[in-house]
Amino acid sequence: MDNLKIPVDLVAPIFSPAAYGNRDKIHEIFTTLRRDYPLSIAEVPGFDPHWIVTKYDDLREITRQDDKFLSSVRSKTLVSQAAEAFIRDFTGGTPNVFKTLVNMDEPEHTDYRNVTAQHFMPQSVATLEPLIRKIAKRYADKLASMAPACDFAWDLGFHYPLEVIMTIIGVPEEDHAMMLRLTQWVFNYTDPELGRPGADPSDLSEVAKTWMIAFLEFKDYYDRMVEDRLACPREDIATVLAHGKVNGCPMENVALISYFAIASTAGHDTTAASTSMAMWKLAEDPTLLERLQENPKLIPGFVEEAIRWATPIQIFVRSAAEDYVLRGRQIKKGDLLYLSYVSANRDEDIFDEPFAFKPERSPNRHVGFGYGGHICLGQHLGRMEMRIFWEEVIPRLKSVEMAGEGRMAQAETVSGPKHVPIRFEMT
Amino acid sequence: MADDGWRIWQCGICGDLYDEAAGMPDQGIPPGTRLEDLPDTWICPMCGSPKGVFIPYEG
Repeated sequence: MDNLKIPVDLVAPIFSPAAYGNRDKIHEIFTTLRRDYPLSIAEVPGFDPHWIVTKYDDLREITRQDDKFLSSVRSKTLVSQAAEAFIRDFTGGTPNVFKTLVNMDEPEHTDYRNVTAQHFMPQSVATLEPLIRKIAKRYADKLASMAPACDFAWDLGFHYPLEVIMTIIGVPEEDHAMMLRLTQWVFNYTDPELGRPGADPSDLSEVAKTWMIAFLEFKDYYDRMVEDRLACPREDIATVLAHGKVNGCPMENVALISYFAIASTAGHDTTAASTSMAMWKLAEDPTLLERLQENPKLIPGFVEEAIRWATPIQIFVRSAAEDYVLRGRQIKKGDLLYLSYVSANRDEDIFDEPFAFKPERSPNRHVGFGYGGHICLGQHLGRMEMRIFWEEVIPRLKSVEMAGEGRMAQAETVSGPKHVPIRFEMT
Repeated sequence: MADDGWRIWQCGICGDLYDEAAGMPDQGIPPGTRLEDLPDTWICPMCGSPKGVFIPYEG
């Protein structure tokens, strides 16, 4: 087939963290890929070849077959050949610095997921509503105090979900800022504002170096917390993890620390991204605020659409466990597949007017939380946090408009708005 | 509807609910369809897991 390989000039930007700072450009590339190269190969210098999976149905077919498309044998995030070699050297041969649920295959994945799964089911998350509403009310007051202008993402968006998840884990308030800093290092390792000081964006191994440093910082912090919770259990997720057993045994240390690390990073950065994106859309379209105020029942749909629009988890990589035919393509055992959630959530064959922001969209079965056995464990918590926040803010927001240019973080795996300057009135 | 013995089931992976009384009309499943009567190929509309992972809901 003549479109088996994607021209390097077209596809190279989607291998660059910096390019993801310009979402319009990224969408332009993926719109072309969905049309002309829906499932084709990218051969970008410095990286192994990857199948670029752009279509919603293909992404769902892959991610619901965890036995055929693996998460643990190669890096689950996009890494260069140099970075993967660096990581394998650091870890003694495994391809991921962290050993989180994200990087596990069955049956280990389910064994570890079950340690906390019940705590994140809708009925368990619902019991947290009074706590989260109290926090949300405080952040709504904080927002009102910043009128008539603020940088919503920087001043508030990053902090509200951080406080929620850190409170649930059991991290004391004085350590929240440190956790935000480590999160931003991990996910935005080449972003000049959010990355680790001293990080070299031109170094293809930078992701590996930053993640190793972050892992060791998480280990130093959470080893002490585990020791504390083993001696003195509390009503928090740290206690659940510290006492968690897999097949009757304590979790291995790297997996235990990684469990804490994923909760402490993805557990808020993704929600922050969707929350700030929601404000960005409110500020761009005055009719949106009017519609939500006239009909507050639209708020859950507004949240859902903000998640689809933001798609904070942009990429995961899987490797084929066996030969497989998809969309007429012969995928061979060992091939890498670059799953673009950003592209799937704009698939014209699935979403009517995919580039229109519509809280009324129903059903809105986006893949913002993933799909299959690896679907986000914290999805119900994230949705509830956002719904409660907007239930507190929308009725008090009299007007909002952009006061400057919104800007996305430069990151290819997890990313969202880092600056959303707004002018607003609030009661 | 509870008197009719309809049950609610929960996906053990993603937590989505299947209410037999309500069915899933947008999926072409009429109200009053028991989980056991769904085809074996039916998957959770939220996460794609097989119906075998659904467990009785105790919300």
